[in-house]
Amino acid sequence: MEAIASQRRRQILRLVWSAERSAGEIASTVRDVSWPAVSQNLRVLKDSGLITERRQGTHRYYKADRRALGPLEVVLRQMWTRDLDRLRELAEEEARARRPRHD
Amino acid sequence: MIEDLTSAIEITQRIEAPPEIVFAYLTDSRRFVTWMGVGAELDARPGGRYRIDVDGEHIASGQYEVVDPPRRLVMSWGWEGHPTVPPGSTTVEITLTPEKDATVLRLRHLGLPDEGERRQHRDGWQRYASQLAGALLDGTPILPSP
Repeated sequence: MEAIASQRRRQILRLVWSAERSAGEIASTVRDVSWPAVSQNLRVLKDSGLITERRQGTHRYYKADRRALGPLEVVLRQMWTRDLDRLRELAEEEARARRPRHD
Repeated sequence: MIEDLTSAIEITQRIEAPPEIVFAYLTDSRRFVTWMGVGAELDARPGGRYRIDVDGEHIASGQYEVVDPPRRLVMSWGWEGHPTVPPGSTTVEITLTPEKDATVLRLRHLGLPDEGERRQHRDGWQRYASQLAGALLDGTPILPSP
């Protein structure tokens, strides 16, 4: 039973890994279990700091808090690598726009 | 200089743009938010402070130690409310080296708590969270009943 619950939590965690999802979206994806079971899993994940909850009106949204999920170095390295890659694209775009055209 | 590399991250990135443009992306709030976070207040001068809203929920903040345009930037770094990496606890150093028409950016994130320190950290949640993460990944149930 616990292993199944753990598998379910893993599934939910994957679901909210890169995007925030509403409780409804999560429930409709994890179809083979009841809403109370999904809700319970969400609470366990939230209490352990693995996901964060945001409330907006009557809706609740969840996403993974990746800082809690792995060695800090890995999380930070991912953050810097991803963000600096974006910086590179933007700076190169601006440099191209400033450069005189050759064609 | 900063010698402790035991718990550091180093990333090198070649950018086809002059250092002046790259430096502007590091220090100008308007340009900064286009590549990192969803909001930023940067007072990029020695002793000035910054606050970055990383994702609408987590705030990174710190103080500029060195602002040497367009070559070098050193600032303290941490997350507000974070148990092991609070503001002021780590250092980010960015150097820009011109190379023909391009810039080589090197970022070093220094002073991160090492694994042992984190394990010893008395704050419960992170330890519990990492145990739980382990359990989630290998399927071993270690969860206490809520």
